[in-house]
Amino acid sequence: MVAVDRRSETPGTGDPGRATAGACAELDDVSLRYRLARQRISSLKAYAIHWMKGALIYEELWALRNVDLRIESGESLGIIGRNGAGKTTLLRVLAGVLKPTSGRLVTRGAVTPLLELGTGFDFELTGRENVFLNALLLGRSRRAIKEAFERIVEFSELGRFIDSPIRNYSTGMVARLAFSIATAWTPEILLLDEVLSVGDVAFTRKCEARMREFRAARVTMVLVTHSRETLIENCSRSVWIDGGRIRADGAPAEVWSLYAEEVSGPAAAV
Amino acid sequence: MSQLAQRRDLVLALVARDLKVRYRRSAIGFAWTMLQPLLTMLVLTVVFSSIFRFDVANYPVYVLSGLLFWNFFQQGTVAAMSSLRGNAQLLQRLPVPRWIFPLATVLAGLVNLVLALLPLLAIVVLTGHPVRPSLLFLPVAIVLLGAFTLGIALLVSPLAVFFADVVELIGVALMLLMYLTPVIYPMSILPESYRWLIRFNPMRSLLEVFRDPIYHGKLPPLPHLLVATALGVALLAIGVALFRRFSDRIPFHV
Repeated sequence: MVAVDRRSETPGTGDPGRATAGACAELDDVSLRYRLARQRISSLKAYAIHWMKGALIYEELWALRNVDLRIESGESLGIIGRNGAGKTTLLRVLAGVLKPTSGRLVTRGAVTPLLELGTGFDFELTGRENVFLNALLLGRSRRAIKEAFERIVEFSELGRFIDSPIRNYSTGMVARLAFSIATAWTPEILLLDEVLSVGDVAFTRKCEARMREFRAARVTMVLVTHSRETLIENCSRSVWIDGGRIRADGAPAEVWSLYAEEVSGPAAAV
Repeated sequence: MSQLAQRRDLVLALVARDLKVRYRRSAIGFAWTMLQPLLTMLVLTVVFSSIFRFDVANYPVYVLSGLLFWNFFQQGTVAAMSSLRGNAQLLQRLPVPRWIFPLATVLAGLVNLVLALLPLLAIVVLTGHPVRPSLLFLPVAIVLLGAFTLGIALLVSPLAVFFADVVELIGVALMLLMYLTPVIYPMSILPESYRWLIRFNPMRSLLEVFRDPIYHGKLPPLPHLLVATALGVALLAIGVALFRRFSDRIPFHV
């Protein structure tokens, strides 16, 4: 680990029972292992035979290794790293989707994961129906959705198309609707996986504006990005993940140069 | 349980999605829920009353009540097996409780079952079958059958995620089980030497509990009711326990 170790700053506030204001998340020595069957054993018989022989061979892949990470309230953390380094896995652990093989995750505050735009959309349903379904999946109440509905449609710029099945939408329209739903409420902890570059230029601006609002409202944010610009623009801190471990942690510009230096040699580091 | 209350609206939305999407592109839409078992009943009535000939008073009511029972159980089980894989993308990206998917499929099946009871009642009336107060017992039978099917759904849905062949295997098993249950034939056509087979088939108790109030116009015999209750409670308990045990592994395998 390079740069500051932030864990010592505010010890012990990860306790979910504590009534301190502010949403935060903490990973405590988190490791996560994927087990990929070497032979594709998907039949019961093959499984039984291998199990009896004691020969269930798995390709073990440690996507995260002993990750200690404390995300402070109001912080905007940018995660960078090469493909397959464990960035997405880290987000999925933070989202509460994947349970760590060992270690502990403590979050305080509701997590809004936006890992892929349009997750949970049903293409046979109309835009309107999807707004309800999707927002319910994100944990909103029916009442809150009704109240926010007009706002969502307006932000998405879908107009009368909101009552057409979304299979008739363009990719951009789907992305706009998804972003509008997910960000209709100021989240407590927002997780973003490379979803900022959706739609046309005008919509991208609106998204960026909304992100700025969230930053101003001190929303705790974690975003995975491959773009230096996005990182510098949106993040107050950055973590570089490499081979499932944290390689560097600190100011975005510095962490990015360390990363860029290794990836493409010193010349490319800006 | 408290989770269930919290996520009630989401469960209902998923049930609505299931129901809407299934028939969205068809011309008569929802009516298929009622029409499909009626048509099957017609086919079976023609086949069995004119070709194989067995002697059952008012076969249409007998077979239609059996079919509604079986369709619910079978379709619920099959749909549950694909409910997790079918929502794989969602399961890997949003922290939704995973049990809501098999639950929503079984609930959607219940809606279909209740709707399909309407044409059954119409047939009962049209064929001059006596309408008895025993029909009021049906909700109890449906709850027992629902609990049993939900238990099976919770049991097989993670299995189907871990082992793809389970889906095929259970498909065949369900067919075999149907022929071992007097769904479309009466007990009387079986030779005495085979009847023990049916007697030990627990599905039969559930079926009689459902069919007796409709077809025989009486409450089901106590032994059947006890077996059906035990089955409903036991399967639901086993299903919940096993699903909880495997739940965290599901996103890794879907």
